[in-house]
This record gives sequence, structure tokens and C-alpha cells, in this order.
Amino acid sequence: MMDTVRIVEESVVTRKNPIVIEGLPDVGLVGTIAASYIVDKLKYEEIGYIESDLFPPVMVIHGGKLKSPFCLYGNEEVVVVSSEIAIPPNAVYPLTRALADWFSSINASLVISVTGLPVKNRMDIDKPEVFAVGNNEEAIRKLKEKQVELMEEGFIAGTYAVMLRECYKKDLCAISLLAQCFPVYPDPGAAASAIGSLDKFLQLGIDVRELLERGEEIKLKARDLMRQTALSASEMQKSAEQDMPIMYR
Amino acid sequence: MGIERRIIKATWGYNGDLEPLYELEDTGDEIIVTFDLPRVKRENVEINTTEDTVEITAKMSEAVCWERWGSVQRRISFTQFRKQIRLPEPIEPEKASASFRNGVLRIILPKKRRKVFIPVQ
Repeated sequence: MMDTVRIVEESVVTRKNPIVIEGLPDVGLVGTIAASYIVDKLKYEEIGYIESDLFPPVMVIHGGKLKSPFCLYGNEEVVVVSSEIAIPPNAVYPLTRALADWFSSINASLVISVTGLPVKNRMDIDKPEVFAVGNNEEAIRKLKEKQVELMEEGFIAGTYAVMLRECYKKDLCAISLLAQCFPVYPDPGAAASAIGSLDKFLQLGIDVRELLERGEEIKLKARDLMRQTALSASEMQKSAEQDMPIMYR
Repeated sequence: MGIERRIIKATWGYNGDLEPLYELEDTGDEIIVTFDLPRVKRENVEINTTEDTVEITAKMSEAVCWERWGSVQRRISFTQFRKQIRLPEPIEPEKASASFRNGVLRIILPKKRRKVFIPVQ
């Protein structure tokens, strides 16, 4: 039987324990905007794509060329996972399982999911803060070492939440960086904050000035993906992230 | 929704209008509507409300132009956002207020329904 989700590598790359950046669409499109900016800025090549019968029958055309909307970019040291369409809720588990299997097969040293943490008063926040979650002791140690503020209590929901768990099962060190963001508006400002924290791990000196300067243009281009993602997110219990967990343990 | 509307459900019009992203929140006493309006300045936002609708028109400081894209396949420009929303409850238009910050418009619409105090026996 064919796998539900298939990772297709199109180029042969000798990898050196790469760091994986997962920027799949979620609240504020923080990860998607950050991943796309990094790919563009660091001129990462497309190295493969993801296909699944669970994905909608959609392909994307760029410069007259047919492409999968679920793409992999990178080089020997970094792999970026991104998508131009929303993840269907029923694909989240098979997708994260397949990705964790693949990350394990390429000996990823660290998996970083970049995403948003929706806040009600985002309009009044000039520089969004970034919080983090680690999936094991080593991940938490790395976060403390890089002085990224840890989320101590709360629920997390969506693709990145399951990704942390699937990576844990594969003994992969994984973290999620969550930048305060608008829930249903594309948020380049939050993506810039997230890249600031992400670069503590990549150490590539990514300058976010252009991202902030082009923020309005990015917001305009990302409207439809944001709309799709918001519809999909409502089926992923994203509202649980605003709930308080029972504190007595 | 008809089949045609479900297939051709665009968030833009050939007249140069874009539909903005928006969010509606019911806080009990008020309805708060926010709109994401990139490339818009405060002075170019026009808001009109009735008891059960709110309508915004917001001119962009620079038009958005897309070339040979999607079903259009020719140059198309968008110059403003426009959206009318039907509200879930009647509001008091005269008491409405609005603020605009970092490209996001927030409109606070107090509900018409009055609170009634019920003493507990």
C-alpha cells in the first residue's frame, strides 16, 4: 500500500545533520511568511515536494511552470518546509508522521516550527514577543541557552503541536517558536520577531528590515492563503490555545 | 450559496475593489469589528453604519497591480478595499467609535439592546 503522504526529493544533497525549519500555514501565517523570506533571502534551492491524496487537488503555477504547493527548500545544512495552501485538518497527523520519519532519515539535528501565538491586543503591540516550546530536555536546554522565553503552561494546537510530538516519538529534538500575532491577518511583524529568535539557532545573520519594509505588500499577497488557513484552523481546535489548562497536577 | 458562487468565489472585483480580511467579535455589550487594511492611511477610511450593517471603503495610497494572473490573464489594478457586513444584532450607530493603527481598523459598535438588572432573591 502506498504511503498516505510522500516526501519526494528531487535533488541529491549530502546533508550534514541539517536544521529543519517548518513554516506551514497557521495563525497570522507567521511561519509561512518567515520561511518564504528566509528561502528568498538565503537563495535556497527547491529540493523536493510533498504529495498526498489527502491534499486538495491543487497545483501552483509560477513563471509559467507547474509546481506543488507543498515544497521543500534548502542546502546541506538547512531544510525549509513550506506550503502555499492551507493544510487540510485530516492531513495533519499523516503529514507530521511522514515529515518526522523523513527528518529522522536525514539525521536532522533540530526541527524548528515557526508559528504564531494569537493575541487579542496585537494591534497595540509594536514588537511581538516570541515564546517557545521544546519537545524534550535537550530542546528545553537549547532554548534556555539561547535565552528564548519558554511557554510554561497552556494548550498548543495545530500542525506544529503534533509535529513536536511526532518528533519526540522519533527521538528528534524539536522546538516551536511562537510569535505574538494577529489570529486571522497575515503578520509580517510577527514573522520578523520569529526570525530574530530563529536566527539564534541558525546564526546566519538574517536581516529582517526588508521584511518589515515590504510588510504591506506581503499582507496583500497573503490574503487568500490567510482566509483558507483561518477556515482550516477553526477545525483544528485552535481556540484551545486561549483556554486555561487545569493548574493542579 | 449557488454552484457558480461556490466555484467563482473571488475576494476582488473587476471594478478595482478588494475585499478586506475582517474579524467580528461579540463582547456582550458591543460588537467589535476589525479590518486589515494594508496600504491605507487613516484619512482615507470611510465608515458608514446603520442599525444592522457596517460598511467601509478604504482607498490605498498605492494601487496593487497584478499581471497575467489567474483567470484574468491581463493587467488588473486594485485601488481600494470595500466591504459591507450585516451585524448579528442591532447597534446604536451614533455611539459607534473607530480607531486605526498599523493598518488595522477597529470599530466599536455598542448594541441597542439594554441590560436589565435582575435582583437575586
